[in-house]
Amino acid sequence: MAARDNHGVGSPWKDGFKVIGRALPKEDGLAKATGQAIYADDIQLPGMLHAKILRSPHAHARIVSIDTSRALALEGVHAVITGESMPIRYGVIPWTPDENALAVDKVRFIGDEVAAVAAVDEDTANEALRLIEVEYEPLHAYLDPREALERSEPQIHEGKKAGNVSKHVGLDFGPVDENLEKAEVRVEGDYVFHGSTHAPIEPHCAVAQHAADGLLTVWSSTQITHYVHRALARVLELPESRIRVIQPCLGGAFGGKSDPFALEFCVAKLAMITGRPVKMLWTREEVFYAHRGRHPMQMHYVTGADRDGRVQAVDAKILIDGGSYSSFGLVTTYYSGQLLTGPYDFPAYRFDSTRVFTNKPPCGPKRGHGSVQPRFAFEVQFDQLAEKVGVDPIEIRRRNFQGDYTETVNGQRITSNGFLACLDQVEEASDWKKRRGKLPRGRGLGVAGSMYISGTNYAVYPNKMPQAGVQLKVDRSGMVMVFTGGNDIGQGSNSVVRYIVAEELGLRPEDVRVKAADTDLCPVDLGAYSSRVTFMVGNATIDACRKLRKKITQAVAQEWEIPQARVFMGLGEVFDLEDREKLISTREAFHLAEEHHDTLGSTGSYNTPTLGGDYRGGTIGASPAYSFTAHVVEATVDEETGRITVENCWIAHDCGRALNPMLVAGQMEGSAYMGLAEALLEDHRVNRFGLHAGPSLLDYRLPTAVDTPELHALIVESLDPEGPYGAKEAGEGPLHPSIPAISNAVFDAVGIRLTELPFTPGKVLKALEEQKAEKQASPGNPSEQPIGEKA
Amino acid sequence: MLRLPKFEMAEPDTLDEAVSLLAKHGDRAMPIAGGTDLVPNMKHELFTPELVVSLAGIAELHGIEQAGDGSLILGAMTPLDELARDERVLRGAPALAQAASLVAGPQLRRMGTLGGNVMLDTRCQWYNQTHFWRQSLGYCLKKDGTECHVVAGGRKCVAAASNDSAPALMSLGATLSFQGPDGTREVPIDDLWKSDGIYNKKVSGEILTHARIPAPGPGHRGAYGKLRDRGSIDFPLLGVAVRLDLGSDDVVTDADLVVVALQARPVRVRKVAETFRGLEIQGPAFREALDEVCTLASKQCRPLANIPGDHEYRHAMVPVYTRRTFLAACEQGGPVHHV
Amino acid sequence: MRVLHLCVNGDRLEVAAPPHWTLLEVLRYKLGLTGSKQGCDKGDCGACTVLVDGKPVLACLTLAALSEGREITTIEGLMPAHRQAGGEGADPVQEAFDRCGALQCGFCQPGMMLSARALLNDNPTPSPAEIKHALSGNLCRCTGYTQIVQAVELCVAESTSKKPRSPAWAPGVNPWSRAEPASGGQD
Ligand SMILES: Cc1cc2nc3c(=O)[nH]c(=O)nc-3n(C[C@H](O)[C@H](O)[C@H](O)COP(=O)(O)OP(=O)(O)OC[C@H]3O[C@@H](n4cnc5c(N)ncnc54)[C@H](O)[C@@H]3O)c2cc1C
Ligand code: SF4
Ligand code: FES
Ligand code: FES
Repeated sequence: MAARDNHGVGSPWKDGFKVIGRALPKEDGLAKATGQAIYADDIQLPGMLHAKILRSPHAHARIVSIDTSRALALEGVHAVITGESMPIRYGVIPWTPDENALAVDKVRFIGDEVAAVAAVDEDTANEALRLIEVEYEPLHAYLDPREALERSEPQIHEGKKAGNVSKHVGLDFGPVDENLEKAEVRVEGDYVFHGSTHAPIEPHCAVAQHAADGLLTVWSSTQITHYVHRALARVLELPESRIRVIQPCLGGAFGGKSDPFALEFCVAKLAMITGRPVKMLWTREEVFYAHRGRHPMQMHYVTGADRDGRVQAVDAKILIDGGSYSSFGLVTTYYSGQLLTGPYDFPAYRFDSTRVFTNKPPCGPKRGHGSVQPRFAFEVQFDQLAEKVGVDPIEIRRRNFQGDYTETVNGQRITSNGFLACLDQVEEASDWKKRRGKLPRGRGLGVAGSMYISGTNYAVYPNKMPQAGVQLKVDRSGMVMVFTGGNDIGQGSNSVVRYIVAEELGLRPEDVRVKAADTDLCPVDLGAYSSRVTFMVGNATIDACRKLRKKITQAVAQEWEIPQARVFMGLGEVFDLEDREKLISTREAFHLAEEHHDTLGSTGSYNTPTLGGDYRGGTIGASPAYSFTAHVVEATVDEETGRITVENCWIAHDCGRALNPMLVAGQMEGSAYMGLAEALLEDHRVNRFGLHAGPSLLDYRLPTAVDTPELHALIVESLDPEGPYGAKEAGEGPLHPSIPAISNAVFDAVGIRLTELPFTPGKVLKALEEQKAEKQASPGNPSEQPIGEKA
Repeated sequence: MLRLPKFEMAEPDTLDEAVSLLAKHGDRAMPIAGGTDLVPNMKHELFTPELVVSLAGIAELHGIEQAGDGSLILGAMTPLDELARDERVLRGAPALAQAASLVAGPQLRRMGTLGGNVMLDTRCQWYNQTHFWRQSLGYCLKKDGTECHVVAGGRKCVAAASNDSAPALMSLGATLSFQGPDGTREVPIDDLWKSDGIYNKKVSGEILTHARIPAPGPGHRGAYGKLRDRGSIDFPLLGVAVRLDLGSDDVVTDADLVVVALQARPVRVRKVAETFRGLEIQGPAFREALDEVCTLASKQCRPLANIPGDHEYRHAMVPVYTRRTFLAACEQGGPVHHV
Repeated sequence: MRVLHLCVNGDRLEVAAPPHWTLLEVLRYKLGLTGSKQGCDKGDCGACTVLVDGKPVLACLTLAALSEGREITTIEGLMPAHRQAGGEGADPVQEAFDRCGALQCGFCQPGMMLSARALLNDNPTPSPAEIKHALSGNLCRCTGYTQIVQAVELCVAESTSKKPRSPAWAPGVNPWSRAEPASGGQD
């Protein structure tokens, strides 16, 4: 079977699914529950040194000189390295290599890495850092993206063509100006999205060991083992074959561990220099500096529609604050526009997005990469449109539905699309018809919808090889070992692999074990980003299983002298469909197959079909299948304190097929939680000195159990022909609507429009005061009365 | 890890021993109770004592007692969660029990003590940060620097008193007992504070042994209100402790309002008792008086941009939390908290 | 350097540590009990929660020296204690977290499960609100707490032989039943 083949949405065996679709526990659940799972910082190697990084106290400065001699002289210090030790630049996107493991010549934000020390213990390493003398020549620091756009000297990245612009994308589809001109209703507005960060509870950590024969092993809390492998080879100037990268159990990532980081290069280099294993564990503060979180965006949207609220054109202009480095910024800039063209039909669409560099921690991909911000703006604007034309907000979304098996205005192929079912589900579960617009003042319901990718056919480095590979090793014990490059970051992708293999080979799930994300052992998968793992690794797993299955059924059929089609495999047993007396264990079947063939194994892979619009950047955001989501949020507003309390969040998500509904629900709940959190509490802010305003889990406020509303996960299954058994993504899509849905619920509750994030109580009070002032200015003017207003 | 600076540890069994250790080492020694304030502050290198003296082994600092006259004697080492749940405290000092119940999160309330809470260091967004962060800032007046970043050109640190128990104890007229090299002394809690964010207490180098709360009258009403972003873990953005003493027929005979997390010391709002006295809490006059008290509070409480968060918003919340907390006290309810 | 006498998960141990080491550092790096996690190292996240004399506290703010003579339970201790008491498998809290899907990345969960264990020891039938309150010092970034609260509710339900509340994604059924995990999908 070729990698691009679809495997169909049905069960592999005629009597339906036995493993898929069930709420089974996870492959690594009990290991995690009992403390046996090993995370990066749990690794302790004999003779291991501890490394620490010296960081820049300046937001923007030239490095005049570095003197490490006093640090090196300190007893217990084994090595000190600086930018000169690893001058080759890298970047996760090969077109924009603008990072150094340690700063060369310049520092670009407070917290930028300057030097690293390996010592016998952390205390000694810390002491050594204080002995390193760095002379800086401070430069003008850009803290405001608008200034970075308008001013080009000094440049944050010298040699860039366009001042401090990191990336500009302007794309135009259909007659935008004409349609806006003709539109019977127009809504225009500004929307502001602030910065937020992933804050996985596990801080970044890496360990390296350099063997006498030159083999370098790096264990890292990364979600992109393969890219780290490539980046290490490039920067350390080693052949890839001399490097092994292993992702141990990972304590959360959400996109925050999808770049190669200074710590991986530093531990590797220090291990190579010292000949001893080296560990570096970042403090929570350092995790905030590593960032790569949500880009702040200032967005201007114009939407034109006919009098029934059917959208005719959307025009967007977006300024993106990228922070100090490119990271995935090229993709972010595209995503900020490319991913808005569903689940609604836009006949005409234009976006103009500019990402600028500023002297702040670098932004990157956070859950819902690049599209959460425009989605917020648009879904609030859509609500404003509904208000203007006097249509129910759910109804206007139905009216504009793009349909399934269609193409978007920017040339993306849409396959299955369960958005209408999502709307139906949240409408019913929230009792929308009876309650929306009718609740007592102070309480309201808001809706929003969204679309997201299940992987993209844009591999970050150009190549024609599969995006995902899987290898099966069949054991005589009856167990199958699966090797996959996929990164399980807690979302449960290893478990999904287990379920699929069990389903395909008729095994009990316990008899499938998964070894993932070890570059020596596992075939390449590109990593856990863009919601691609379940989809792509899942497809690759089916591919590998079907090849193997053929061999096994063939051997059994031959032995029993029956047609191959009569051989049936299920939950650890193999039998003749027409004569159930003929029954052996899968273990015995494996033995038969090994006798008949050879040592048993199999490989499988997946690659995306050719997709995307025929224009520059048309493949970015082109996905083999899109997921769809609708949320209804129920919120109360305390008009005296301005506090918004989200009471309920109904999340309906079209995940194609729920391979395990419990894990899908976990992704939906976790996504919605993260969206609510950044809407109401979190703010990744840099203060007037260019310092992160509060790089701690005290000042950067993640909601606790008592701050989190009731989350109701409603699963919609549209069975997509492209996905494994019809599955699509579930880990990022369900974040998007939570943010605009809150704003829309607040409008229903008290009649104010929140267009600037985060929705702090202070902002709510201010908006309520303005509302009051307006009312006093024009009492009884019904046209001024918002539709959602209540007595 | 965020490593602690090095220090030596002493674990005396008696108060005298502890006192003499502290006296002997002066500034270079600090007592530790639950450590929930001191340990993070040491990790941030705000304090780098050479000797840390644990109070855990000193029996007389532990426990809650009710004296014959009905007053409560609260040992300095009493964990906050015990205070929050103790029947006697709930009855005799509801504002204190409520304040304790809203400190930080569950684990921290089990570790943190009353003594540590009273003696808590003041807090500021420019100060409660790592050494690296403060160094990048160029430090500030309170520690290692010369400038204040809250009040430009300010000569005085205005870091915020952030201990939830302080206003509650003040509203209850508590007296603190300290033991120092010169013996024991009693300090009315009102006299403990000074308006200096660098160190906001008039007592130093002595050990707080217990707090005594006078027996409440039969008509005692008290409550605590706390503004914070999250329903757990967070320090106060504003803390409001109230007391109403009611005579027969629910008429106010005395009242008090103390607010924390504004500036360097907890602030008692003036003229509260005068405004309420003689009014029956169910009557309309009380409502009007309450409006007046809210205005007084708003005028007298000026939150500064010391702790994180919007200080204008904190100011706007002063009358709101004042009103809600007094109303809760009237109904023998509380605490006033958003979750 | 001083020698500490700790009782960790039932074992009486002697361990040498300088006074500026926290209990978390001693557990993880001296005793190799890496099940206790570190997410902030200064009291903000709860990942390091362990039971000291049965009560959940933060090991990152506990000076190891002050744990002298104390009974410490880490996540590694739950299953052995359960077995010693005649049970099978892991502690019911651990099993319930597993069965409810609460273990996503799992990093917050040792602390979370110990908070839950202590709650249930104190109060075997907490309400959902009491559960949330008791766990409100443990941050989880993955789950949105829903499956965590469900797991604790499941423990309560099973210990009282009641039917647990169904999740929104499996209305009316008990998808965590050991008998027959429910099918949430269509064939
Ligand atoms: C995440 C987090 C959130 C928090 N939230 C809150 C909050 O909401 N409200 C709040 O009030 N606090 C909060 N705190 C601070 C702290 O937990 C509590 O104030 C606690 O009560 C401090 O008590 P402790 O015993 O731990 O003090 P320690 O840290 O042991 O001591 C604090 C200070 O008091 C001194 N001291 C202690 N005992 C005595 C004594 N008997 N005599 C003389 N000096 C003494 C110490 O030397 C030290 O300087 C929080 C802390 C953290 C880490
Ligand atoms: S108020 Fe804050 S900034 Fe000013 S001196 Fe005090 S701690 Fe420093
Ligand atoms: S690691 Fe102890 S509370 Fe975060
Ligand atoms: S499961 Fe990942 S932080 Fe809780």
